[in-house]
Amino acid sequence: MRRTFGWAILGLAVLAIYGWFLAATEVSLSRFLRGLPWMADFVRRMVPPDLSVLGSAVVGALQTLQIAVVGTTVAALVALPLGFLSARNVARASVFYPARAVLNFFRSIDTMVYALFFVAAVGLGPFPGVLAVVTYTAMTLAKLYSESIEGIEPGPVEAITATGATRFQILRFGILPQVFPLFASYILYRLETNIRAATILGFVGAGGIGFYIQTYLRMINYPAASAVLLVLVAMVMGVDFASSRLRAHIV
Amino acid sequence: MIRIRGLRKVFPPDKVALDGVDLDISAGDCVMVIGQSGAGKTTLLRCLNRLVEPTAGEVQLNGSLVTGASPEALRLVRRQIGMIFQHFNLVKRASVLQNVLAGRLGHVPGLLSLVGRFPERDRILAMACLRQVGLEGFASRRADTLSGGEQQRVAIARALAQEPKVILADEPTASLDPKLTESIMGILQRINTESRMTLVVSQHMLETALTYGTRIVGLRQGRLVFDGPPHAITPTIVEDIYQGGVQ
Repeated sequence: MRRTFGWAILGLAVLAIYGWFLAATEVSLSRFLRGLPWMADFVRRMVPPDLSVLGSAVVGALQTLQIAVVGTTVAALVALPLGFLSARNVARASVFYPARAVLNFFRSIDTMVYALFFVAAVGLGPFPGVLAVVTYTAMTLAKLYSESIEGIEPGPVEAITATGATRFQILRFGILPQVFPLFASYILYRLETNIRAATILGFVGAGGIGFYIQTYLRMINYPAASAVLLVLVAMVMGVDFASSRLRAHIV
Repeated sequence: MIRIRGLRKVFPPDKVALDGVDLDISAGDCVMVIGQSGAGKTTLLRCLNRLVEPTAGEVQLNGSLVTGASPEALRLVRRQIGMIFQHFNLVKRASVLQNVLAGRLGHVPGLLSLVGRFPERDRILAMACLRQVGLEGFASRRADTLSGGEQQRVAIARALAQEPKVILADEPTASLDPKLTESIMGILQRINTESRMTLVVSQHMLETALTYGTRIVGLRQGRLVFDGPPHAITPTIVEDIYQGGVQ
């Protein structure tokens, strides 16, 4: 009886808080309905797409792809030492606790925020975009790496240790073969995510296709913007397809 | 060859696994360590190459100290000691040959090995070791495609590839059926008799230990309670080794 009462109080409290959140975010069905014609109008003005901008859209898409690929590969390498240092079964406690803390701190800041920071630091263009992708991705991958390292079988590591191997040889022959497929799969998954993240880097001047989307929307040139979006969708789908095929092959 | 004095291991907080073991093992011995589960067989073997760090006591291999050796000195000691495990402990995704070559890691130049290249001499040696366990045709197979008995033979080849002075085998047949047990113990026995390799084997099956050992060491609750040839074992001694472990 008292238990049920307790649950009821808790339920009411959750409902009240959720109601407050709804109010605070000004969620309103009527406002949404009133907006519908505008959305339809927006879409109507986007067709037919202006295919004359396809050339620059493809150039922008290619740059986005380049930012994502360079950023992800550099991050994959930077994350290696970080991943090992933040794995409980490899690094000693005095190393891995601080390493973990650093990872968690920098991981809580999104790629976009890093992009703003790096644009201010090194100027406009794809390079600050690459730096932003590297920073966030390295932290995320390092965390995933360290979790896979913590999940390995200790037996082979012990056997390699017993042969008189050095610490690096133990990493290379005892640990790396066990985690490599996982690492590869995480890297490909991050590449897919980074393609998407890199599309909006252009909004803050960090290169890629986002620059064209933002420019055409500002110029109220919707047919051109929709052409760019089509190129973007094609690229993202293409990369997702290639990446998932590759991942199925590795794991 | 191996000199053990006052060897003691206490696992935190207060589990005494070895309680002052003195033992001398001579070159060419085929020692079977017997005793109940928890008697300290595995811990004894693991203290010899410091996969388990002894709490107190001394271990020497050919006159050089194992206990207290610096990391670099320990590496040099470890490469003279081959080890075989109950669960084979192969790197499953690597090829059979790669697994055997891992036995060469203590000998090859560090940087070259890190990129996965082994000198021709080591590759030839690794193949010879595979031949010794009858698996030369399996070199390029992935380790996890082999049966349990085959995997243990690869593990033996890996230990042989170290060109060790002694091989420790920690319950090498505990995960295998009786027929494979015979085959694995037979290979170990042949290595002992033909190559004069010193063997220290922990073996929970008394029958197997008596069949293959030239010397039996009995442990009970971390203490050495018997040391002698197999024919000196009497029912009274068996009773003494295997009683009292259960609490």
